[in-house]
Amino acid sequence: MRVTQSLEQTQFLTAINNLESALSETQNQVSTGLAFTTPAEDPIAAGNVSNLNEVLAQSQQYTSNANSAQTSLETENTALTQVQTQLQSLYSLALQANAGTVSSENLSAISAQATQIQNTLLGLANTQDGSGQYIFSGYATTTQPFTLNATGVSYAGDQGQAQVQIAAGQKVATGDNGDTVFNAIKTGNGTFTASPATGNTGTGVVGATTVANPADYSGGSYAIDFGANSSYQVEDAGGNVVASGTYASGQTISFAGLQVTLSGQPAAGDSFNVAPSTNQSIFTTVQNLITALNAGTGTAAQQTQLGNSIAAALGNIEQAITQTSTVQAQVGGRLNTVTTALSLATSQQTQLQTSISSLQSLNYASAVTTLDSQNTQLSAAMEAYTQTQGLSLFKYIG
Amino acid sequence: MSDLFSISTSALQAFETAISVTSNNIANANTPGYAAEAVDLAAGVPQADGSNTVGSGVVVQSVNRAYSQLAENQLNSSQSSLSQLNSLQSYTNQIDNIIGTTAGGIGTALGNYYNAWSTLASDPTSTPARQALLSQAQSLAQSIQTTAGQLQSLNSQINSGITADVAQINSDAQSIASLNQQIAIGSAQGGTQAPNTLLDQRDSLIASLSQLAGVTTTTEPNGEVNVFIGSGQPLVLQGNVTQLTTVANQFNASQLEVSTATNGSNAISSSITSGDLGGLLAARTQAVDPTLNQLGQLAAGLASSANSQQTSGLDANGNLGTALFSVAGPVATASSNNSDATSATVSLNDIGALTSDNYVLSYTNGAYALTNASTGAAVAFTGTGTAANPITAGGLSIVLSGTPASGDEFLIQPTANAAASFSVAISDPSQLAAAGALQTSAAVGNTGSGTIGAATVVTPTNANLLATVNIAFTSPTSYTINGTSYAYTAGAPIDYNGWQVAISGTPAAGDTFTVDAGSSGNNTNALALAAQQSLGVLSGGTTSIEGATNALITSVGSQAQQINTAQTAQTAVNSQAQQNVQSISGVNLDDEAANLLQWQQAYQASAQAFAIGNTTFTTLMDSINGTYS
Repeated sequence: MRVTQSLEQTQFLTAINNLESALSETQNQVSTGLAFTTPAEDPIAAGNVSNLNEVLAQSQQYTSNANSAQTSLETENTALTQVQTQLQSLYSLALQANAGTVSSENLSAISAQATQIQNTLLGLANTQDGSGQYIFSGYATTTQPFTLNATGVSYAGDQGQAQVQIAAGQKVATGDNGDTVFNAIKTGNGTFTASPATGNTGTGVVGATTVANPADYSGGSYAIDFGANSSYQVEDAGGNVVASGTYASGQTISFAGLQVTLSGQPAAGDSFNVAPSTNQSIFTTVQNLITALNAGTGTAAQQTQLGNSIAAALGNIEQAITQTSTVQAQVGGRLNTVTTALSLATSQQTQLQTSISSLQSLNYASAVTTLDSQNTQLSAAMEAYTQTQGLSLFKYIG
Repeated sequence: MSDLFSISTSALQAFETAISVTSNNIANANTPGYAAEAVDLAAGVPQADGSNTVGSGVVVQSVNRAYSQLAENQLNSSQSSLSQLNSLQSYTNQIDNIIGTTAGGIGTALGNYYNAWSTLASDPTSTPARQALLSQAQSLAQSIQTTAGQLQSLNSQINSGITADVAQINSDAQSIASLNQQIAIGSAQGGTQAPNTLLDQRDSLIASLSQLAGVTTTTEPNGEVNVFIGSGQPLVLQGNVTQLTTVANQFNASQLEVSTATNGSNAISSSITSGDLGGLLAARTQAVDPTLNQLGQLAAGLASSANSQQTSGLDANGNLGTALFSVAGPVATASSNNSDATSATVSLNDIGALTSDNYVLSYTNGAYALTNASTGAAVAFTGTGTAANPITAGGLSIVLSGTPASGDEFLIQPTANAAASFSVAISDPSQLAAAGALQTSAAVGNTGSGTIGAATVVTPTNANLLATVNIAFTSPTSYTINGTSYAYTAGAPIDYNGWQVAISGTPAAGDTFTVDAGSSGNNTNALALAAQQSLGVLSGGTTSIEGATNALITSVGSQAQQINTAQTAQTAVNSQAQQNVQSISGVNLDDEAANLLQWQQAYQASAQAFAIGNTTFTTLMDSINGTYS
């Protein structure tokens, strides 16, 4: 092909420009450490890096959420442990009072201790976290949940249970509301209660109650009525007799899948009511116990009443301990979930950072090699230009 | 004898001309558009000398340009394509930089915004967390708005570019027309002798015109050329010029289109597909506007999903939330060519079906047609355009104010304005609706097995939505609300006061369930807003807002990459065409050096012949003198 000098110039300049622009791009890569600085250089990787960065930021947010959940759950766990300690003490006090030979002074002392426990429990139920939020008031975290007033302890919280997101598709509850922990406690043995009818004149006291055969118990109410000569019959709500017999102290009366043990001697006309368990607040249980302890033991009737009250309190306290243990076990489970999520998040974040780095970071070895070869190419092009520029026929004319 | 002198003289004159032409070539070796010239020598007419004929010397028949119309056309056409790509590339690269900036980009801002909701969910009563969320929302809005602003400023750059190109095209066309006239006169005077310099100048002008817009040329027998632009619109016809003008787009007065004076407002932009002008027009329709639309689509999706969740929650003051983001809706613009004043209004009814395309709604002979504005493909729709039966397509509802005139057109832009107008609509952090509007509870004293699920808001506008409502069971199969009795079916939804809730299990008589307004520490709405990070909103609920952001980065990057590749390839093609033209028309100094020597030697030889003629004549005269003296 016929080549002209001006074409040679143009081509040389174009080539030099291209080489310099490529060299500058490589230089930019080496100085920033990035394999690409705009999406055009690698559109797919740019989209992926953006996506991975978002996933990473989200994962870091989950970690922060999980840490906050961990703090909340640990606060709750501590409070629940203390609640249980108090309930155990209360249970021991009730047992002491039930010994039968307790003097009225001692009962007063026990009552005073029970009041102390009631106050401590109230304080624990109103536990606040580090930022002043009540942990047992459901969603109403700024409202004090439990207040002692003339009619007992009232609950101002709600049944909300806040959750936080600790991983993609995984939420964990950060607490439990006051209804669950303190209020919704089954009375009696958790299935039914047996209690003396008001106006009983005998010394019959309710002892152990059990559900012998859950399949036979349909949740109804029954009455154990005593007649002459220690005879008794058990009637259901419709007045139908479902069991009958002759009673001796300490005897277990069985009916409808249930077993009720009575002690003492009920008088003829005395009656014991068996009803399905209902929910009762811990504070009501404690208040009832204190009231019973303060009622005095001067008469046999009072002693019988105290015995029955303590028997009821013991059952209710046991239920409360069961309930708080259950909640605490759930809290422990959630803490485990959070710990697992945290450790998974840590390894996921490492993984993500590795992926981002492998997409985005420059391979220095190859970049430096490229830089070197581009350098060589550029200086060779310049060398070639200066050499060919010397060639002209005019040099030899004349 | 006289022959001898005249032959030598003709040779001396011819070689002098040849040396001049060669010198001129050397002088113009670096003149752009200069085509190397060469003398065309021919033997003089022979003269009869008795029985012999002897030549009469040499004549310069013409001075020719080394020129190939084919190579020149190829160069012009490849230059048009290259200019188009150069101009398009400068815009795709700018968009690439605008969208792709990772730090402070939309993707990061979006992630921070969702994370701020998550943080608020962990501590819904915290004022600092609310303030932080509001700041993140504002910086997200800022980031989207700034990006849209930068894209819009590209459109004004394009407008200036179009104006400048059109002015330059008109001026070049004018120069070509006047050169045409001079060339016609020159050719007529010089007979076969073409005015080479004028031809070179005209070729240069056509080449520079080709950089601005693709042109085709035809040559008249008298040497004048006709220049056509676009799809054959005459620009120069011999000595006449059809001036190009810029006119406002029929739908959008802020966008300039190219038209010809004779076409009036009938824009010829769509036929200009190459040259710098073609690149500018393509940058607008293929790069800037689609990117703005895509950005608008994600802004609209973000606003729609965030607002619908925010308005179904409660703010820190216990009020139902108000819209978090404000965003401009779809717009319908009547063409300035429409013959009556019928207007169209368009509203968004399904964010999932919303696309980033623009549509043209036209009414011809009693029937509506909807087409995709960029591809021209027909778009299926339903409805007749009345308020009762709007035209529905692509998640939009279009209502016409009346029956348009036949031939009327409307441009429907679903998302074009969304990104630029995207802003945070609330200013008080307490207005962020972190709490669910409603929460439910079962009375502690309930003895049945009934449980109540979460309440969902069905009608946020119900005045009694937040009122506390007790659902009191009078038997396991019936309940009362505010004194009215209803039959109970386990699990069936209970609708009341604009909310819906389900109770399952077997409640006992006397059991009570309560639905009331969310408490301050309720975080369910904040959780739902944080979870929108991975919630499919766009494309029929398959694409999250973040997904759309990443897709935007990839699509913008791919387009820039594709244009870069095409530009590199076209540069090679163009450089090949340039080499081709240069190898035909360029001046090679070595050639000229050789020619110079050749003509110099020929001149010397002719001079020698002249001297010999002189000597011969002198010898003859001397011998005659000797005989007669």
